[in-house]
Amino acid sequence: MVRKELILMVRYPVNFIASFGQIFLIVAILSLGGRTFSANLDNPPPIGAPPTSGNPSGVVIYGFILFMFLSDTLWTIGYNVRHEQVQGTLEQLYLSPASKFASLVSRVANILLWTGLLTLAASGLMVLMIGRLPVENPWLGLYLLVMSLAGTFGIGFAFAALTLRIRETAQTMANLLQFVFLILCANFFPFSALPPVLLRISRLIPLSYSVDAFRSTLMNYPPGYPELAPISVEIVIVTLFGIGMPFLGYYLYRRAEDHARRSGSLSSF
Amino acid sequence: MTATSPTLKSNLSIVLASARMRLATISRYPGQLLMDIFIPIVFAAMPILLGRATAGPDAGENFAQNTGTSNYVAYMLIGSAAFTIVTYAFWHIAYWLRWEQETGTLEALYLSPTHRVWVAGGTALYSCLRSLFSASAAFLIGSKILGVNPFEGGVGLAFLFILSGLIPIYGLALLFGALVIKVKEANALINLMQWGVSFLMGIFFPIAMFPPLLRAIALLFPPTWMTNGVRSALLGLTYFFQEWYLDLAVLWAFALIAPLLGYWVFTRAETSIRRNEGVGQF
Amino acid sequence: MTGTVRVENLSKTYQVRQRKGLFKSFRSTVEALKGVTLEVRPGEIFGLLGPNGAGKTTLIKILTTLLLPSSGEAWVNGFHVQRQENQVRASVGCMLMGERGLYWKLTGRENLEYFGALYHLSPQDRRQRALEILERIQLGEIADRTVETYSSGQKMKLAFGKALINDAPLLVLDEPTNTLDVPSASELRAVVRDLHAQGKTIIYTTHIMSEAETLCDRVAIIDHGQLLALGSIEELKDSLRRDQVTRIEGVIPSRAVAAVKRLPTVQQATRTSADSGDLLTIVTSDGHEFLPQIIEALTQTGATIKKIAPEEVTLEDVFIAKTGRTLAEDTRER
Repeated sequence: MVRKELILMVRYPVNFIASFGQIFLIVAILSLGGRTFSANLDNPPPIGAPPTSGNPSGVVIYGFILFMFLSDTLWTIGYNVRHEQVQGTLEQLYLSPASKFASLVSRVANILLWTGLLTLAASGLMVLMIGRLPVENPWLGLYLLVMSLAGTFGIGFAFAALTLRIRETAQTMANLLQFVFLILCANFFPFSALPPVLLRISRLIPLSYSVDAFRSTLMNYPPGYPELAPISVEIVIVTLFGIGMPFLGYYLYRRAEDHARRSGSLSSF
Repeated sequence: MTATSPTLKSNLSIVLASARMRLATISRYPGQLLMDIFIPIVFAAMPILLGRATAGPDAGENFAQNTGTSNYVAYMLIGSAAFTIVTYAFWHIAYWLRWEQETGTLEALYLSPTHRVWVAGGTALYSCLRSLFSASAAFLIGSKILGVNPFEGGVGLAFLFILSGLIPIYGLALLFGALVIKVKEANALINLMQWGVSFLMGIFFPIAMFPPLLRAIALLFPPTWMTNGVRSALLGLTYFFQEWYLDLAVLWAFALIAPLLGYWVFTRAETSIRRNEGVGQF
Repeated sequence: MTGTVRVENLSKTYQVRQRKGLFKSFRSTVEALKGVTLEVRPGEIFGLLGPNGAGKTTLIKILTTLLLPSSGEAWVNGFHVQRQENQVRASVGCMLMGERGLYWKLTGRENLEYFGALYHLSPQDRRQRALEILERIQLGEIADRTVETYSSGQKMKLAFGKALINDAPLLVLDEPTNTLDVPSASELRAVVRDLHAQGKTIIYTTHIMSEAETLCDRVAIIDHGQLLALGSIEELKDSLRRDQVTRIEGVIPSRAVAAVKRLPTVQQATRTSADSGDLLTIVTSDGHEFLPQIIEALTQTGATIKKIAPEEVTLEDVFIAKTGRTLAEDTRER
């Protein structure tokens, strides 16, 4: 599979370059947009300077990392099932003796590799643009990242289940979910920026705690962080999310598959 | 009832038929039109919320120092709405042939005696209608949600800038469409191009923040003039040439050149494809 | 030549890139058509037969202006395919892409009306024409459902209907009965005969030999970009003497087929499946005089012969003689 990805990178160079270029441009647009609120734009701090209290580099970059994985997961795992349903290969998959779980897992590995690379590149660019990135408590940060990713993949499996049911509205739903999570999980800004109504909804989403715990830990808990709950509580929530969500997502996926097989909609447009 | 020779009336009828066909298609994707309105608002909300969180009560003041207006909500919403228009132009026009190929209808299109420019015209009309609707609705609803008055400043003049900007944007999209059919990795290229143009047009920041060379490049793109014109009309900012009619004249010059250039490049690319692999291989 | 379609020395070459491994690639030239010359007469049903990759689709695409030739010329309804493209397109009705040439989110009626617009029919004419076609192809009842809800056969029918929208004097139909069930295929062939009776010229490609034999006035066999045979069904059959074709049924292993092929005067030996086992069709150059040697070669290599049947030459025999394989076999290998 890695070889396949390498082959694709070489044979589709525009795709390869565009992925990185696109990330750079999105980051640049949001970063420059954020900088318009900076008090000393005419005398900006030198590149690489430590963040000031108004410089949200850690908040933005770490939230961005999790957003990248969530977005790719929704599309690569979730929407891809719909894509296979439309082009008729989902039925083929069922006719083969290959494990359905293995198929999902192979997509997970794909994301880890490709999105991981993109995320690293994008983070590097963001550091250049908006300031030094704090990296404290790396092992706990890594643990929280792994748990968050596991939970995110579980969301992907659950979304795949949804796409089998809702079919053609799956693309719309993927877009919607992507942006809903973007706001409610406050990937690009502190939770304090959210209106109270939205903040209440955020507290109901485990992924919010992932974002909050992950970036707070790596920023070494500046005043006010984490924002949603004490860190010990957030670690427990993230752990439960990381362990439970993949199983729940996979269970929902298999149920949706069985339903599709009963209703004959495996190949249905 | 054999096919008749083309007349202006029949070609215009094709433009309308093509637009109607695309509108009928999109109307059968439930929720998509809602998403069209929702996404620009969410997109604008990100820098707004980030700015508020980092600058706190000084957000408006800081913003005014850097851009000339304290109304950062409207500033971002206008940028996001402009981004919607540009995005749709790219995905509907530059991606148009790829879309026809994906639906399997590209060869059917080329088998007809209608010149592609009329079908493209219909697609552009559809794109205009959809993007204007989405952008306007997003701006109005976003203003309501975020608590600003959308009708501050010269609304008529802002609309004039939008309409003047549409034609060169579609010309630009057609130019990029030529690149798409040659390079073939359409999705990736369109994504890159739409974000590239959006960056250059400064959807969330003034292009004065660019270094001089980048600023000069940004000024070569019609959407940059359109976005600045709308902001200046609604928020009282400075036009690039200090007067609105001078900026508008530049947009009209683009409106004259961009579609012709786009069409010329596109047809050359198209002919080269037909000479080698045939239209099904776009 | 004064045909509806005239092709003179038409050639088409492609430059293709072949890849080896991650970074290596090299360019090669593929000759899809090599100096094809033919004529389709007004009012005939002209069959185009050939295995996959033979050049049929390339030829059709050049005639319908989808592809530009490398050399040679062609005229369709008197219009040059390169210099008078729009006139060519206006005078041809095509079914090339099967069910893929439809907008799935539009209804059957909307599809027909939209394509009617592309052929410059007035709004009133489009509506009328769509109505007539939907009745003719028996899709009237589902005309207002989106195409995505149609079965494969219904989509093919609609695609066929789309080819009729401009009431063109020439129709180009690429495997129009593909995926249709037997009754629907029969209905569609009846419509084709009807159109033929009205004086339309039809270029028809098919993988079903019996269809070509019953429908076509003349047939062209193409392989490897070259025109191998052209004539009426009877002329083509007459090009092979009855005694040149022998069919042997039994159990015939591959080594037996190879042994037969090595015999002098055996031009072709093709094995297919039959109800009772294998069927070996042998085309020889000198009749049945060499039959004892063929039998000996088979039995010595382990074949079991159940029946030997010198039969009437069929179009399939001609196809095998010209190309070295059966059309059905080639389709299965896809």
